[in-house]
Amino acid sequence: MPPIVKVSHLDKYFGRLHVLHDVSLEVQPQEVVCLIGRSGSGKSTLLRCINFLEEPSAGTVEVDGLSVAAEWKGRQRRQLVHDLRLRTGMVFQEFNLFPHMTVIENVIEAPVTVKNMEKDKAIALGEKFLEKVGLMAKRDEYPARLSGGQKQRVAIARALGMEPKVMLFDEPTSALDPELIGEVLEVMKALAREGTTMLVVTHEMGFARDVADRVVIMYEGELIEQGPPSQIFGAPQDPRTKVFLERYRAS
Amino acid sequence: MSTALPTPGQPKTQSQLIFEAQERVKRNFQMGVTASWIILLAILLFLFSGTKFTLGGFELKTIHLDTAFIGENATFIAGGVWETIGISALSIALATILALLAALGRLSPFPPIYSVCTFYVSLIRGTPLYLQIFFFFLALPQLGIVLPGLWAGTFALGLNYGAYMSEIFRAGLSSVGKGQREAALALGMTPTQMMTRIILPQALRFAIPPTGNEFIAMLKDSALVSATGFVHELMWRATKVGRAKFHNLEALIIAAIFYWVMTLLFSALQSRLEARLSRGER
Ligand SMILES: Nc1ncnc2c1ncn2[C@@H]1O[C@H](COP(=O)(O)OP(=O)(O)OP(=O)(O)O)[C@@H](O)[C@H]1O
Ligand SMILES: [Mg+2]
Repeated sequence: MPPIVKVSHLDKYFGRLHVLHDVSLEVQPQEVVCLIGRSGSGKSTLLRCINFLEEPSAGTVEVDGLSVAAEWKGRQRRQLVHDLRLRTGMVFQEFNLFPHMTVIENVIEAPVTVKNMEKDKAIALGEKFLEKVGLMAKRDEYPARLSGGQKQRVAIARALGMEPKVMLFDEPTSALDPELIGEVLEVMKALAREGTTMLVVTHEMGFARDVADRVVIMYEGELIEQGPPSQIFGAPQDPRTKVFLERYRAS
Repeated sequence: MSTALPTPGQPKTQSQLIFEAQERVKRNFQMGVTASWIILLAILLFLFSGTKFTLGGFELKTIHLDTAFIGENATFIAGGVWETIGISALSIALATILALLAALGRLSPFPPIYSVCTFYVSLIRGTPLYLQIFFFFLALPQLGIVLPGLWAGTFALGLNYGAYMSEIFRAGLSSVGKGQREAALALGMTPTQMMTRIILPQALRFAIPPTGNEFIAMLKDSALVSATGFVHELMWRATKVGRAKFHNLEALIIAAIFYWVMTLLFSALQSRLEARLSRGER
């Protein structure tokens, strides 16, 4: 089967700062890939280049057969980027729920406005995803009245509502109080079990070890090592990976 | 607050006692303020009551107002209240539209649009409101453009307030975080959908209370259009009867009372609106 995500020779500069160095990465259907690495190594930037929230400076991003090259310009590209975003769902560290909408309105907003889905159908679909993240009871609440963990679960339901081909998670539990991390990770685990294709930037090593099919180590804008979690955590090859993991265990 | 309710049969806890003491201080202060306001009002009334009294051997008299004049003209002046509210409401509506356009235009990457907006704001803020009003009433007719009084007033006030209020909407737009834009884009929204569905609703909500304040300011600034003689609002009516019978003191006092009461009423309305909007917020 062809990969769902195929990032080829991606480079990204912020001004003169070279943040991504010739990064190539594939994610297979139903695969869960965890991207880990030091702060500032470029994990978020890579994730955000996949749905063009950040403009790659060079290289190609392909999602479910649709590819967009960094150098393409103009109207046609805009359409392609839009289609690319429909194929990806993103979950942010800071949730970014729409505060002026209730939980269910958050979930159906994009299906209705972007996909022109009928409202009844969108609601039925939205309720299905709220059920999945265990928040049907909060259907008509405003985000302000939810805990951080609940907010993030709604954000996951909102992204799922667009029925993307791949879910991108950017440190989904880093803004949460420790006691709320578990409920979000449980939801992500359930998604993984159901065969959702996921690319997850995380500092939760336990999650990576238990759930990931593959762990990718990023270091100063390069992917330096990847493999199954048992290999990465058990017998890392690259000395920089060893240092990173040891420092992690120490803290 | 639950801490304020002592459980029957149990001594009050320290936190209850502190809470009650704080509440007492607050209550006393409020009562003091109310009493002082009543006294100040009474002094003001006394000052204008025309009372004769002796103080240290001097025969003194407070200001005398002609009650007959007041009785005859109060209704005429009061008729201006609706015109004042009307022109203020029309002007604030125009100002809101202009301010929103100007604020959105300033986000445009297209230089002509950006420039039109900054040009407008700069021109209006760089000249006096009084001049702008006369421009619409007196200068435009010279070019053969004669607007009905109400419209000329509305354009002048609306244009002027629009320039100042564009800052409110700019602040409203920038109060919506970057994360909101990113979430909208990541869901596949177009920039227009993002603006109308996500950014504007939040920005407008942010802008409602300050717009209310502008309306209250407008109620008073609308008095300036009286100078042109074409809009028969409160101030125009007060100066008309005041000058005719040389009772400007009484006429202006009547107008002042109406302005003050209007301001108080709309301010009260405004705080209730604000309280309602802030409920269910983040
Ligand atoms: N918008 C931007 N403008 C300029 N520099 C940026 C921008 N975004 C990120 N950077 C820089 O790019 C580098 C990579 O940042 P990135 O956010 O991708 O790292 P990260 O691996 O996600 O780190 P963290 O674990 O702290 O989230 C950093 O040096 C950061 O300062
Ligand atoms: Mg990051």
